[in-house]
Amino acid sequence: MTIRRVLIFAPIILIVFLVQSYFWVPTYEQQTRGNPDRLNDYITASIGDASILNPILSADSASSDIESLVFEGLIDRDEELRFRGRLATSWDIYEEAFFYVNEGANIPGVGRAGAQDVVALLQRARTGDLRTELELQASLGNIREISVIPPRDFLVVRYEEKERKDKEPAEVKIRVSAPVRIKLVLNCVDQDLFQKLSHILGKDYFASFNGQGYLTVDDERWQEKRGAYAEEILPATEHNPIVVFHLRPGVKFHDGHLFDARDVKFTFEAIMNPKNLSPRIADYEPVKQVEVVDPLTVRIVYKRLYSPALGTWGMGILPEHLLNDEALKKEPVSLDKNPEEFSMRQSSFNRHPTGCGPFVFREWKSDQYIILDCFEDYWKGPPNYNRYVYRIVPDLLTQEMEFYAGTIDSYNVQPHQVERLSNDPTYQNFSGPSFGYTYIGYNMRREPFDDSRVRRALSMAIDVDKIIDYVLYGQGERITGPFVKQTDFYDHSIKPTLYDPEAALRLLADAGWGRNKEGWLEKDGKRFQFTLITNSGNDLRKAVLAIAQNAWKQIGIDVRTDLLEWSVFIQERVDKGDFDALILGWVMGIEPDLYQIWHSSQAHPHQLNFVAFKNTEADDLIVKIRQEYDHERQVAHCHRLHEIIAREQPYTFLYVAKWTAVLDKRIVIKERDLRGNVVYKKIKPTKTGNYSFYFNKWIKLPEIPSFALDG
Amino acid sequence: MLSFIGRSIIQKIITLFFVSIVSFLIIHLAPGKPSQVDPLNPKFTPEIVERFRKEFHLDKPLHIQYVYFYRNLLTGKTVSWKDNQSVLGKIWERFLNSLPLFIVGTIITWTLSFPIGIRSAICRGGFYDRSATFFSYLLISIPGFFFAYILIIFVVTHFHVPVIGLKTFGIGDASWLRMIMDRVWHLLLPSVLGATGGIAILSRYVRSQMLEVESQDYVRTARAKGVPEEQVHYKHALRNALLPFVTMFGLILPGLIGGSVIIESIFSWPGIGRMAYEAILARDYPIILTVNFMSAVLVLAGTFVSDLLYLVVDPRIRL
Amino acid sequence: MNAIAKDLDKNALDAPRRSGLHEFWQLLKQDRLAIIGLAIFVLFFCIALLGLVLTTGTDPTLKPAMIRLQEKLRQPLSRPNLETLRPEEVPRLGVYLLGTDDLGRDVFARMLQGAWVSLTVGFVAVGISVLIGILMGGIAGYFGQNHVRVDHILFLIVLHSGVVLLLLWVRPLWAALLGGVVWGFIFSLCWKKVWKRWQLSGWLNILRKDTISIDTLIMRFVDIMLCFPSFFLILTVVALLPASMYNIMIVIGLTSWMGTTRFVRAEFLSLREQDFVTAARALGVNQWRIIFRHMIPNAMAPVLVSATIGIATAILTEAGLSFLGFGVPPPHATWGSILSDGKRFIFDAPWLTFTPGFAILIVVLCFNLFGEGLRDILNPKLRQRY
Repeated sequence: MTIRRVLIFAPIILIVFLVQSYFWVPTYEQQTRGNPDRLNDYITASIGDASILNPILSADSASSDIESLVFEGLIDRDEELRFRGRLATSWDIYEEAFFYVNEGANIPGVGRAGAQDVVALLQRARTGDLRTELELQASLGNIREISVIPPRDFLVVRYEEKERKDKEPAEVKIRVSAPVRIKLVLNCVDQDLFQKLSHILGKDYFASFNGQGYLTVDDERWQEKRGAYAEEILPATEHNPIVVFHLRPGVKFHDGHLFDARDVKFTFEAIMNPKNLSPRIADYEPVKQVEVVDPLTVRIVYKRLYSPALGTWGMGILPEHLLNDEALKKEPVSLDKNPEEFSMRQSSFNRHPTGCGPFVFREWKSDQYIILDCFEDYWKGPPNYNRYVYRIVPDLLTQEMEFYAGTIDSYNVQPHQVERLSNDPTYQNFSGPSFGYTYIGYNMRREPFDDSRVRRALSMAIDVDKIIDYVLYGQGERITGPFVKQTDFYDHSIKPTLYDPEAALRLLADAGWGRNKEGWLEKDGKRFQFTLITNSGNDLRKAVLAIAQNAWKQIGIDVRTDLLEWSVFIQERVDKGDFDALILGWVMGIEPDLYQIWHSSQAHPHQLNFVAFKNTEADDLIVKIRQEYDHERQVAHCHRLHEIIAREQPYTFLYVAKWTAVLDKRIVIKERDLRGNVVYKKIKPTKTGNYSFYFNKWIKLPEIPSFALDG
Repeated sequence: MLSFIGRSIIQKIITLFFVSIVSFLIIHLAPGKPSQVDPLNPKFTPEIVERFRKEFHLDKPLHIQYVYFYRNLLTGKTVSWKDNQSVLGKIWERFLNSLPLFIVGTIITWTLSFPIGIRSAICRGGFYDRSATFFSYLLISIPGFFFAYILIIFVVTHFHVPVIGLKTFGIGDASWLRMIMDRVWHLLLPSVLGATGGIAILSRYVRSQMLEVESQDYVRTARAKGVPEEQVHYKHALRNALLPFVTMFGLILPGLIGGSVIIESIFSWPGIGRMAYEAILARDYPIILTVNFMSAVLVLAGTFVSDLLYLVVDPRIRL
Repeated sequence: MNAIAKDLDKNALDAPRRSGLHEFWQLLKQDRLAIIGLAIFVLFFCIALLGLVLTTGTDPTLKPAMIRLQEKLRQPLSRPNLETLRPEEVPRLGVYLLGTDDLGRDVFARMLQGAWVSLTVGFVAVGISVLIGILMGGIAGYFGQNHVRVDHILFLIVLHSGVVLLLLWVRPLWAALLGGVVWGFIFSLCWKKVWKRWQLSGWLNILRKDTISIDTLIMRFVDIMLCFPSFFLILTVVALLPASMYNIMIVIGLTSWMGTTRFVRAEFLSLREQDFVTAARALGVNQWRIIFRHMIPNAMAPVLVSATIGIATAILTEAGLSFLGFGVPPPHATWGSILSDGKRFIFDAPWLTFTPGFAILIVVLCFNLFGEGLRDILNPKLRQRY
């Protein structure tokens, strides 16, 4: 019967055909045989896909992984996390400070004085004619030049909140006749300058300056806002820190166009352009203006003291010639879209980026891969790898399987896997502290978390070392404060709280909590009871949640737990401050700016100080730290702040997880020594724990090399 | 006939309209808003979030949003919130990736289930039939991802070959034959996994159809006439048992876009199912709604086609 | 029951008689796979009950949530290391029957707890879907020929706008009000006689105009629901809603009633025309009595089968959701969540994957086999053939 034969043979043939394809696929051992190019490719895996390959628009880690290879910033950080020049060869920081002459104030020993008198007084003080203290002397010595800005009249227009929905915002005209102003140019930034100067000019010289007297508001309705306007338009004193970048000559974009200062200015303007909806707008808000001095010099003037600002120039620089208004106008026309609605966000550049980094963008298939090629004209010489492939593999276990099959060179290896692979001769593994920490935060608006003894007791009841040992497989370190552990800002002399449930109970007893008959802690007849929440989808946090619940139960606290989906967790609970305690993590920037997370002014709904930490001394230090440009002094402030936070324990600081990585042992660093011979070196993490710092020098060899020196 | 077609098209359009409303409401009334911007990212200010809301029309009342969305969808202008790519373009690209998986899976299902089902029907009650029943239920009962992991681990640890993704990465410039075979190999596991459930169900269905037909009078007549047993089974019975399966061609149509979220996630297969899953995670409403809408269209088209096919193959039905 | 009906019954009893249950049992015995399925099903039920007893309460006998980090990833049947454990941490059984997981929790205790939770998820979800299915299918099948009139629509619109208005003010009331709408609608259907007696003049008669039959309405709704790819729909809703066991059960239930509705409707349509129903109606039996006493029991066979298989599907769906990270959240352990948590350690601790994996496989398989056996037994047409 033909029908019968067909019915039987069709599936057999199909299966044989499908299965025989196995013989065509390369195995792990054979991955290079007949395919030597494989050694020049570096393939890495990521769980999520990039969203938009434009450094000023993206906000996810996958996109920034790619951007860091395609784009290059003016500066970046070296092995020890200090700044080093990339597109900029060097930079200078100085300051221009301004103050209005307060003719109504009494200067000690001089009386009321005009601009010329004040200048003369300052000049005299500077040359040492006046008897002054040492500290003041230092501040004065810092002044490079003093000049006078004559008075001027101008008109300012402000738009005020509309009263009703249908109304246009009200236009308020403010006539300003600014008085004489004095400009001081300082060699280096000095946040205490005016406080020091007030020793000479009189205590109230700056504070008593009445800006309101110099402006008139036409509209009656807005008269009461004059004070606010004066503060804004005519501040008594003003710091304008200035950064001048000297750019590297001869750097090329991937399309061969030369990089110059206009690109820097353009990048800044693109970020500030409201049409682009850049998530980085807040970083650059303190910038007053960016000036192109000459093609290789940019001068950046800041509105106020803000020391973390320098770090923002590590951001990738966009090519002006591809994205300027003219180019953006052409694109929608060819795509038949409305040019009015077209912004950089819609541009195809975001899927085919061009920068001046070590790798050239080649291809992006959503949810599959992104391919980069090495850039032959890279200013530091091309990287060793010919190609960089970024694969998207959403499942951790299959990533591992692909790694074993040889189609991935590195993946997000988990601590327990590292433990298993550490003895395998095929692989080398690395680990180092990351920049993020995990904590339990207490809502200090609520009882009983407003008592620091309770918070400390809660911290003491949790055996963090055990969490690190067993949950993280030892791949973590304790942390005691909010600074990055690898930096000087972190005070290593502060010891973590020790696990001591007895002491915790004593502390709680001090705070009025005693055990009742059933063994629960009670105060005034109320049981110690609260809910600990965290987001779902994070196994480590889930484990910590269970451990904390268990540990607190041991000392008689009735803890409920809840896992919430991320957006619900954030929007309904964290943003609204509707929680007792939560487990979360912060990824810290290297800059020690804690304003958003720890300053008491940031404790409103939707702000990041959701535990409502309020401490005046800490507030003061936080502001000082972000205004201080001198590293030593900044470190001193940070150590003090660290101590306060460690004492107050608004969080139970749990641990800094270590990142872990596993690579094939055949991947090594390839360099040329002074005589031009090729030298292979073993990959080693830098002191701060970055193993891929020398990525551009990596290469895969056909065989595992032997290193005589370091075994 | 014509009036049947017209009536059922109108009916289907009305159904589609309600489907669009229901899916729109489900997504927009659920708690939690699209977190286009990570609310905990210190880089985002409330103003930017507000501007995003405006750009996505989220500040408008629901019915206006509905009109905006479906107007854009029908004119092909919808863009994903995540990356501003055209949704239809994205779906098309993913569709092309899902297509081979779907085709190979369907071929495996249909070629395997018929012999299995027919043989079970012929030896009904026997050892073969009972073990086939048992195995087909076994296949339906395995949690898909559990089975997938066992298979993957088995293949990778024993044969040291990659199985994840569309093709082997870093294979370089091999011959075209090797490339094709490499792709076939990568198709094998996911499509077999996707087909297991189908094989089990379809073979059971074939079996019961065959049993149904074999108890009919004309089969008995054929047997009584002395027609060889084999011919009775494969000629008289099978032909008539095939009838309902013709209509099933229409019903497999929705599988084109459904895809399997779990299989595609595990094999990191860039298909539609995975795109939809990622869109759900990112709350990328345009993609979720479009996929939903298109699959509804396919379901309705599928039932329509199967009704038509039924009309064509079964002369007893006249509408 | 009426005298004539009793007489009819007696005549029927002249044939050799076996009780329904007895007959059922006889038939079941012939199907060995179904027997095994039933046996495992009963066993599973007992285990789940045992799990409920042993793992709940303030001080459960087996502590599924007890974390002993120093005891993590111990192999099955290994003995606890008594030196490092506090007295209350020592497992009651003195041995980790199925090993421990990555936090040192006893997998055996967790599996027991998970058995009950998985069973609850399956039963409640299917219970919801069967209830909705019977209600909708029953209405469509029995009252299907009635038409929704213009006045009903007006009534609904008024009530609905009232609900919307109230929704804007008071949120918690909305569920009660929606229930009110449904009941008011049914009420107006039942009291149509009263309504019809009123004389309406002229254009007001438009209120009584028929628009669409209830059958069409319900079946179109079923069509609409069938247009959604089911797993994708469940995933969307579960991902958008806050994670909780109840949400998952309700969502699975609310998205799987369409099959039951169709069965019940078809059964009702055919039962309506059967002689015994006609007879009962002729005898003036109350129509609710007809529905509940005569029709629903007769329509239950396919529902039971699909419910048995539905439980299996619900357990699998929950496992799939757990795999994608949207399963039943802690502290409840389900087999699906144990499996998807454990798969990370498949090389280090294979028992974490294989124990729940095979447990799900066996239980789902037995549900399916039992359901299949049930189908054969309850379907007289298939029965004759064997």
